[in-house]
Amino acid sequence: MLERLFSFLFKYRPIVFERGELGFASPWPAWLLAAVALALLALAVVPYLRTRRLEWRDQVVLASLRAAAFAILVLCLARPLLVVATVVPQQNFLGILVDDSRSMRIVDHAGSPRSEFVSEHFGPDGSPLLSALAERFKLRFFRFSESSQRVSDASDFGFAGRRTDLGGAIAAAQRELAAVPLAGLVLVSDGAENGESVLTESLLQLQASGVPLHTVGIGQERFAKDIAIRRANPPRAVLRGSSVTVDLTITHSGFGGKTVQVVVESDGRILSTRDVDLPRSQEATTARIHFTADETGPRLFRFRIAPEEGELVAENNSLETLIDVQDARRKILYFEGEPRWEVKFLRRALAEDENVRVVVLQRTADDKFYRLDVEEPDELAGGFPATREELFRYDGLILGSVEASFFTHDQLNMIADFVGRRGGGLLALGGRRAFAEGGYGGTPVADVLPVVLPAGVRRDTSGFVSEVKVGLTPFGRTHAVTQLAADERASEDRWNDLPPLTTVNRVTELKPGASTLLAGDAQGLSEPAVVLAYQRYGRGRAMALPVQDTWLWQMHADIPVEDQTHETLWRQLLRWLVSGVTNHVSVTTSADRVESGTTVTLTAEVSDSGFLALNGAQVSATVSAPSGAERDIPMEWSVERDGQYRATFVPAEDGLHRMTVRAEQRGTLLGSDVAYVQSGDLNSEFIDAEMNASLLRRIADETGGKFYTPGTVASLPEDVSFTESGTVVHEQRDLWDMPILFIALLGLVGAEWAYRRTRGLP
Amino acid sequence: MSQIAAVRAGRAFYFTRAQYSGYQSGRFGDSWAVDFPKADRQFLVGLRHLTKIDAYELENPIRLDDPALRQYPFLYALEVGYMGLSAPEVAGLRDYLLAGGFLVIDDFWGTRQWENFETEIRRVLPEYDIVDLSQDHPLLHAFYDIDEILQVPGRGRGVGGRPTWERDGYLPALRGIVDARGRLMVVINWNTDLGDAWEWADDPWYPLQFSNFAYQLGVNMIVYGMSH
Repeated sequence: MLERLFSFLFKYRPIVFERGELGFASPWPAWLLAAVALALLALAVVPYLRTRRLEWRDQVVLASLRAAAFAILVLCLARPLLVVATVVPQQNFLGILVDDSRSMRIVDHAGSPRSEFVSEHFGPDGSPLLSALAERFKLRFFRFSESSQRVSDASDFGFAGRRTDLGGAIAAAQRELAAVPLAGLVLVSDGAENGESVLTESLLQLQASGVPLHTVGIGQERFAKDIAIRRANPPRAVLRGSSVTVDLTITHSGFGGKTVQVVVESDGRILSTRDVDLPRSQEATTARIHFTADETGPRLFRFRIAPEEGELVAENNSLETLIDVQDARRKILYFEGEPRWEVKFLRRALAEDENVRVVVLQRTADDKFYRLDVEEPDELAGGFPATREELFRYDGLILGSVEASFFTHDQLNMIADFVGRRGGGLLALGGRRAFAEGGYGGTPVADVLPVVLPAGVRRDTSGFVSEVKVGLTPFGRTHAVTQLAADERASEDRWNDLPPLTTVNRVTELKPGASTLLAGDAQGLSEPAVVLAYQRYGRGRAMALPVQDTWLWQMHADIPVEDQTHETLWRQLLRWLVSGVTNHVSVTTSADRVESGTTVTLTAEVSDSGFLALNGAQVSATVSAPSGAERDIPMEWSVERDGQYRATFVPAEDGLHRMTVRAEQRGTLLGSDVAYVQSGDLNSEFIDAEMNASLLRRIADETGGKFYTPGTVASLPEDVSFTESGTVVHEQRDLWDMPILFIALLGLVGAEWAYRRTRGLP
Repeated sequence: MSQIAAVRAGRAFYFTRAQYSGYQSGRFGDSWAVDFPKADRQFLVGLRHLTKIDAYELENPIRLDDPALRQYPFLYALEVGYMGLSAPEVAGLRDYLLAGGFLVIDDFWGTRQWENFETEIRRVLPEYDIVDLSQDHPLLHAFYDIDEILQVPGRGRGVGGRPTWERDGYLPALRGIVDARGRLMVVINWNTDLGDAWEWADDPWYPLQFSNFAYQLGVNMIVYGMSH
């Protein structure tokens, strides 16, 4: 409507003004025009200035109105025009790139599938749009999805492509049409990009060659009714039997206020369910799902929400992730400075955990140690490890009530390195010889801890002790470590029922970047006492649990004998503490699941026996395909980071691929690690499948093209004609006869007349 | 000691004595309170001196049907030949042991007293058998290496240099009750009197070898009980 009005007033469509350059082609010389202009100005102004009856304000208004009218006349005499480049008919090529991916089947184009637009306008039966384009250009069609190919016309499209690779499609079309005069490219797509190519690179090439890319967006920018699981953040690997927490990002439109059920499945078995209230606004919501991974091996976990009535896309209601459920055994050293009940009950809680072994070294008297569950006769025979090599054998370290002065300075540094460099998990327990009360303030261990050790508190003999009623923090409410029941509400109820513990450590302040899971009010402390907190430190994790009797959660009379709270908490806590701990070689993949034919990047971190990043290792990956076929891929140092090696490969088959990475140094094996990737049909086309108008608009803007919708596409053929690309002629289009000029002239004359009437002038 | 007092003290270990119902009471006191509180205090002096255990210095008697019992995972009971538990005491002790409590039995002699104890403990833990603890049991090596189980005589016999046995309890025995997972719940010192040896360790006439042994075994039982 606006464009039509513009065209009426200014004679041409806005694009002509956008593309054209303003010029003048008066048959009169410039000096003559200037003289005429001056004469007309005098004619406009002088008579009014000489009319003495008029006030000065009237003189100014009337003289200005007449001068403006004369100015328009002078402008017309100057013969303004637009010089615009237009294509020479049939001398140029136009590439039409049609999206042939699955998302084009979505029924959100005026009640029909998106593909209907393609058939209607670009199909073999012809259409006014196609005819208009064909009149001006030689048309070349391309279909694209995960790959791109030239086709004779837009018939026989299957709309079955598993991905939309816009960057690849643009680059391919440009390559194909590089040798011909190319007036532009037209991209017909929903813009639901999920390809591998880097779009920016393709656009830069287009910009360099000056080829405009016009985009036609099909589909709705927001589905009227849809629920989608957009993203999940699963851990790469967990120990068998671990409680796994995954955050799902769920979006919806048209279902505000509704409660839906998220189901977690593996191998057809339902592992967990959770009700999620969809927000009234259309914002994304995050749902935290807990389940137990109890089957060993690389496992696919599927999260799904049953499709609701009227949903446009059902495929985006589910999402799968691959988690390596490991039957590994993590070893934790628990060093306790005095006999305490925590030792007994912690050992009991972990006794049946086959994946976490706790070795206890307990100081029972000065220079007398009691070793429990050691694997070799000489393990810890000399007391607490004196070398990094000895300490770094463990994946986790629990420090009980043992004063800092027990350790040498090197041992304190070693403990810090255990977390920061080796990537181990450290848990500091409360006690009279722990934290600031144990003299840890200012030591390397204090740097590692997630809590601030209060200044001024030293080896404490004041006998501070307080009861702490422990409660979940908002963060702890959803954290895997503190989940005591199947759902968060039941878990919170359980926490509220637990009896209080005691603390002898004044720990209330967190370090920046640390998180608290449990806290409680304690007498004598102005702030709530921290009960469980953690932070990342270097490659590892450090946790603080400054209470001294979690065993009460097993023994207290309020706890039923068969209750598993204490066991569950400790198992979850220690598993989490060591869950990300790696050895000398650790490998990750760019994705856990990929569409067939997608490149997978393997990244390995390699360190030497002292856990220092190593750049000169020989690292290779053996990829085992589902058929059993194996191939070796060398991995090169990435240069970006010490100890980081990379390789890429494309899975040759659909199914589960196992990548075993081995690192050697001078013929000695440093270590190996395994990662998995699942290749196949991921339904990627139905994730984020709404029409991506902002992307399509950006592509058009950056290349000098225009963005169209089915409603505006009719002007495409004419617009495409105005281009500097290809074989063009420069047309002159007169502007002096624009209706707007005549309307303005009439308006000014009319205004002058009306003003004179109101002022009583003849 | 009350729960609040215990919390205030915030100590790691309380030598808790079982205050049970029994057949013997009157002028000489109840059977649970034999040697009380001197044996407890004197043993604690040794325990605190010999080990790093942050032990509360005083006695801590508690009834078996008191819910606060569950806050003290170590429990000492003696003269169990006269034990006669009420139903709430049976339930209290059973839950205590199944939850993870550790009970040490001491100072009862001969067949008749054994039979009484066995009857009572069967009421508490009918599903578990009483077993002998062998010489290589970890309990005997938890702190001190104890190679031989001595018969520790009561004060009168020890000071008087008379035979160490009482009634027909000629040979000392170290027995135990383990749960379904093999964890020791009850340690039974039969035909021996560790309590008297602790109580009279300051008596120059009481033989040192017995008080020495009683301390060693006492410490071992506690160090073991606090870690297993």
